Amino acid sequence: MDLVIENIPFLLKGAYYTLLITVVSMFFGLIIGLITAVARLKGNRFLRMIARVYVSIIRGTPPLVQIFIVYYGLVDYGIEFGPLTAACIALSINIGAYVSEAFRGAIESVPKGQIEAAIATGMTDRQAMRRIVIPQAVRYAIPPLGNTFVGMLKETSLVSSIAVTELMRSAQLLVSQYYVYMPFYLAIAVMYWIMSTFFTFILHKIEKRLSVY
Amino acid sequence: MIEIKHLQKNFGENEVLKDISLTIPSQQVVAVIGPSGSGKSTFLRCINGLEAITGGTVKVNGHVIDPQAQRKVLQKEIHAIRQETGMVFQQFNLYPHKTVVENVMEALLVVKKMNKEQAYVIASDLLLKVGLAEKEESYPSQLSGGQQQRVAIARALAMEPKLMLFDEPTSALDPELVGEVLKVMRDLAEDGMTMVIVTHEMKFAKEVADRILFMADGVIVEDANPVEFFEHPETERAQKFLRQVSEF
Repeated sequence: MDLVIENIPFLLKGAYYTLLITVVSMFFGLIIGLITAVARLKGNRFLRMIARVYVSIIRGTPPLVQIFIVYYGLVDYGIEFGPLTAACIALSINIGAYVSEAFRGAIESVPKGQIEAAIATGMTDRQAMRRIVIPQAVRYAIPPLGNTFVGMLKETSLVSSIAVTELMRSAQLLVSQYYVYMPFYLAIAVMYWIMSTFFTFILHKIEKRLSVY
Repeated sequence: MIEIKHLQKNFGENEVLKDISLTIPSQQVVAVIGPSGSGKSTFLRCINGLEAITGGTVKVNGHVIDPQAQRKVLQKEIHAIRQETGMVFQQFNLYPHKTVVENVMEALLVVKKMNKEQAYVIASDLLLKVGLAEKEESYPSQLSGGQQQRVAIARALAMEPKLMLFDEPTSALDPELVGEVLKVMRDLAEDGMTMVIVTHEMKFAKEVADRILFMADGVIVEDANPVEFFEHPETERAQKFLRQVSEF
């Protein structure tokens, strides 16, 4: 226990990287996901196919493999990223696929009458999408997005394998220094749990705020 | 106002509308009645392009929906028609994430690019007209069905349409709420609005409409003034329908 307390600053630094990777990947994942969802629902046949293949590949392969491809694999083609950058890129692409599924489901759950009412008043499809459908879809999307994000937070532990000193790797380093396992792994388990709970709490707040009607 | 020639609509193999031709002059109030599945709603939705038509042409205020036309041209014409045509739906379709007054203002802001102040003046004036001035800040879910439908009418009127389409506007309402919606529609008819109304309210059709279209199996079986139609229906199909309706 003393060992943990002594090394808290080190672990907190790891937690900081975990959060950083999570937030950055979420941000880009949201953008990728929204574009992909709209492409799948409203794009031409070519765009729809690209989007579908992307989602299918990401969902059908382990995230660890995706991370290795971005970090180690792309080097063969002269594309080299630092570990942190590679981690964010791989996880953004990964989460984008899941976010797109959440958005797609949400957009489809907005009743068709909404878009009809909007275009009947003279809006274009695009205006109706932006003003009427998306704002309602965002609310439907929040519960599944929440799950995706909490999953994401935990998945960041995988990037310890490409030498990003986030929370997981911080613990591993301490373990190899002191040769005790339990205290450090328990400590980071608690830290992951606190962060997950905090995210869930925030999403819950957002959902509440959006459900005024 | 409306000129329809050889309108045809198929859903796959299924012919829903078969060669319909008619004209509707300005300020006329037309009630479309008939058994369910006769194509009434589809017919109405073809007028503002919510359903893509298979054949023939629909002309509203000089804008033509012609399925043979180029896609770009067709879209532009449909868009022009929608800007001059209001529509009221059976399920109201109010925007649940916006307040009552925002529902009415929405198209003014987005389509007419008005500023909020101008749009608000128009919207609150219309809400006053449909008797809902005190509900401006409510959300649709806080209103009764009848109130929601009156908001939907105000929303359609905000664009100053030259033509109003009603798709079974009272069918989803509790019986005691039907009257308040019909009253708003009656006022509108008296103001000289051109209206096409798909309805099951026979009494209303008889009293307010200038003309009855009786549809069955995708064709207009009778086209007559209300007195003629209700007192002396010509076809057996219409006689049978009126008998069934009056049994209630």
